[in-house]
Amino acid sequence: MHGEPGLAAHVIFGWDPLWVSSILFVATYAVIISEKVNRAIVAGLGAGLMVTLGVLNQQTAISGIDFNTLGLLAGMMVIVAITRESGVFQYVAVWSAKKVKASPWGILLMLSLVTAVFSAMLDNVTTVLLIAPVTLLICHELKVNPYPFLYAEIFASNIGGTATLIGDPPNIMIGSAVGLTFNQFLLNLAPITPVILAVTLGIIYLVWGRSMEASPEARERIMNFREREAITDVKLLKQSLSVLALVILGFVLAHPLRLEPATIAMFGAAVLLLLSNFRNSAEEQSESVHEIFGKIEWITIFFFIGLFIAVKGIEEAGVLGILADMVISYTGGDLQVTAMAILWVSAIASAIVDNIPFVATMIPVIKSMAPTFGGAENLMPLWWALALGACLGGNGSLVGASANLIVAGFAERAGHRIRFLPFMLMAFPMMLISIAIASLYMYLRYL
Amino acid sequence: MNVREVFEACSEANTPAIPFCDDNGHISGRVTLKNILLKSCLPEFMVEMAMVLGEQLSHMQDMGTETRQLLDNPVDPYVQKPHISLTSDSPAIKALALMERNDTSYIFVVDEGRYLGVITIHSLANALVSFENRS
Repeated sequence: MHGEPGLAAHVIFGWDPLWVSSILFVATYAVIISEKVNRAIVAGLGAGLMVTLGVLNQQTAISGIDFNTLGLLAGMMVIVAITRESGVFQYVAVWSAKKVKASPWGILLMLSLVTAVFSAMLDNVTTVLLIAPVTLLICHELKVNPYPFLYAEIFASNIGGTATLIGDPPNIMIGSAVGLTFNQFLLNLAPITPVILAVTLGIIYLVWGRSMEASPEARERIMNFREREAITDVKLLKQSLSVLALVILGFVLAHPLRLEPATIAMFGAAVLLLLSNFRNSAEEQSESVHEIFGKIEWITIFFFIGLFIAVKGIEEAGVLGILADMVISYTGGDLQVTAMAILWVSAIASAIVDNIPFVATMIPVIKSMAPTFGGAENLMPLWWALALGACLGGNGSLVGASANLIVAGFAERAGHRIRFLPFMLMAFPMMLISIAIASLYMYLRYL
Repeated sequence: MNVREVFEACSEANTPAIPFCDDNGHISGRVTLKNILLKSCLPEFMVEMAMVLGEQLSHMQDMGTETRQLLDNPVDPYVQKPHISLTSDSPAIKALALMERNDTSYIFVVDEGRYLGVITIHSLANALVSFENRS
């Protein structure tokens, strides 16, 4: 680092840092919501202005970046990029469709379960990238409308992602900022997700499932699919599944091993890169590593970097402290009311705007409530409320989560446009039902 | 011009694409077989899932009608931006280098913007064999 350690931040023209940082942050947020400029560019500009206008110096800005979140994201992206090359995800999806004799409702159920499980173990964006094409192909061959299938998968991906530390970016951010382990997420969030998924699928059955039909010829076409041919590289399949299993075991044992999740993910990525390049020439290795690194979602990584700095700006200027005081004054400093408020506000906000900037803002706000509630250890219900609200809230609209937009993109390119309003008219109430279930769970377990 | 005429022209010239010229004979775009087939016959999800496709597919049921519809379609929706080109006095090695650089197997040959013909990787290989036979 080249910045002088003692170089203090000094806002230009002697302006009030509280106002400068607030205006910059709100402007950044507004442009992100407008989706007119790529979100990585907006976050980068917001972060750059926080430093160049003097709200932060470079050293403080860099201290705001959560490298544990970035390492965990990048490491898992590399592992998933290599694993998906083996074709295992397509294999499982087609295999599960054939297991239910290609019955349309059975397929919807199986693909939703596969989506939820993969979303919990990998991440929900990657999962829908792999599941959406399989779904569209199956529906095309069954001659059925793909909308209910894709709708169910959107919900399943966000519900499944809620269950674990690595399932959804908000969980990664919360886990990293608060030091919550993979097991803590598993023990606190995973138990409620099957209930929410079951209720969701029940509603989908009542709306669409009862009338789903496919001719015997159409079902025969699905039964003729060759899932074994999806496995293009058996050696790579064994290597990647072994490393993935070890990485998940590493997450489970992270606490006794005294390792951070980012270390486990990055180390797993390095081991898998080594195995998949074993006996390759130097040139082949360069080409392969270059290709895999190209599959890291750099937009997401740089979006996070910019966002962390922008949030650090308003935190240093004292904006988040004021925000926390306001929340406490509204909730009267009552833990139960505060947790419920965080759960519902997070859910509704996450349905309307990207949940990543929202969670990035809320983390320091909740942290600063520690003295009110008698210490950081008493904030646990608030963290689970934030995670449940932000992850499940993504189901409320088409723009609520990245996974939703990916599914919508695939559907549109296949000639089945998912419209914003009709989707929201059904998805938003269903999301509220999931939050009501989460509220009951929170109340019974923590409050 | 319709898709049928493009297919016939490409087959006759043994090339994967033909240029789209304006009234003055200047190249204003191109039409490729690949683009027509990808856009009209091959959904993205089928490409993603190519490995698992079985022998029976629903496409086959309506193949006759769909093919007729495609061939009668006007070509305009399939016109892409102009392709790289070179002049007729360019060395053959430059054609090969340009093909490699642009990840293509054909290049249009032009003279002051007017289309003269197309050079393909097959025609280059043919020319080399002919040259070797003559010498």
